[in-house]
Amino acid sequence: MKFLNSKNSQTIIIIVVVSGLLFLALSGYLTPVFNLSLNPLISLQSWLSVRYLSARDFFTTPRDVTFLREQNALLESQVTLLQTQLIVIEERLGEAQVCFALLDFGRINPQFTYVAATVIGREISPFMQYIIIDRGTNHGVRYGMPVVTQQGLVGRVDAVIASAARVKLITDSTSVVNIRLQSAGIEAQLQGSLTGDVSLDMIPLDVNIEPGDVVLTSGLGGNFPPNVFVGQVLSTQRDENALFLTASVQPIVPFETISAVLIVTNFEAVDISPLIPEP
Amino acid sequence: MLISHLVCALSLVVFYILQTTIFSQTRLLSGTADLILLFLAAWSLQEQIKNSWLWTVVAGVFISILSAMPFFAPLIGYLGMVGISKGLQRRVWQNPLIAMLLVVLLGTFFQHSLYVIVLQITGAPITWGQSLDNVILPSALLNLIFALPIYAVANDLARRVTPLEVEA
Repeated sequence: MKFLNSKNSQTIIIIVVVSGLLFLALSGYLTPVFNLSLNPLISLQSWLSVRYLSARDFFTTPRDVTFLREQNALLESQVTLLQTQLIVIEERLGEAQVCFALLDFGRINPQFTYVAATVIGREISPFMQYIIIDRGTNHGVRYGMPVVTQQGLVGRVDAVIASAARVKLITDSTSVVNIRLQSAGIEAQLQGSLTGDVSLDMIPLDVNIEPGDVVLTSGLGGNFPPNVFVGQVLSTQRDENALFLTASVQPIVPFETISAVLIVTNFEAVDISPLIPEP
Repeated sequence: MLISHLVCALSLVVFYILQTTIFSQTRLLSGTADLILLFLAAWSLQEQIKNSWLWTVVAGVFISILSAMPFFAPLIGYLGMVGISKGLQRRVWQNPLIAMLLVVLLGTFFQHSLYVIVLQITGAPITWGQSLDNVILPSALLNLIFALPIYAVANDLARRVTPLEVEA
């Protein structure tokens, strides 16, 4: 009976109670009790957690925004730098493409010698269609030399100084180019205009011209070398009482965006005006 | 006085470069703005500037040499425009902005009419109707648009080089 003293009996009771509680808990009998007691705890925990997270966000978010703004500014500056580099590269690529195209033209037409020039300006007066190039007498450019691009005829040198020259475009209202229509096999005159449009004049009425017909220089008149591409026929106009046909021509050279040209230096223009009888 | 000449010369060079490289390629139909004309108009309207005739002649000769336009037509055009400017300055001097717009409008019409006449004399196949529709009216509109900024620039330059005397 000594074994059942108060201390041992207390331990036994605790073990029995704990075992009983464990048994009840494992067997699921205490679940309602747990739920009842834990729900307020979880609610309290949730409430406190939400407040804590809010407070933490309040104190830490501004620091993150500042950091992100710094990062954003850094990235934006990098993007700007890369865009600038891209523009420079695209410009150089464009220049290289123009140079390659001009080189190709020179290879295709080896009978001519060329001086390449950059377009540096345009005529002040809107009535005149001229460009200014950065090559002059110092580079072998002379009055009257034909000017072309890889695409076709541009015009001829109208005035020249040591380091620059002025080129009259074929679209100028005072410009007349003797041309040949390849398909019809006839010759005519290409006339510029105030608006920069070019048209064919002096085409016989019995000639059949279709849109798309190729227009080449004829070489007549001695101002331009023969067989340089000028453009294509866009449409024809036939007036009732007119003696000749007229036709609109789409020039092959984009005169608005022209940036580089070739001057044909070994072609000497012939001035035949003294041979033309005056009326 | 020397600074005034220097500023005017530099401005004309800058405007000439801007004109040939940018503004001659910025077209409305076939019309373009003429910065030289605008600057000379604005410069001649400044009360304190006394050298506008001189620089109009210089600019006119300079442009006539560089331009393909025959018979020194740009020189005559600019002189006519400055003449209009001086005539209007005495009548509508109280409102320089209106004077500027009037000078630009009348000067553009005068200059372009002169160009048409000169080109017709040289045998260019251009007509008045075509010129008016495609060049003169669009150019006048562009000149009017750019008139006020150029006037502001010229006015600022003129005030800096020749400060107005403060009345006691």
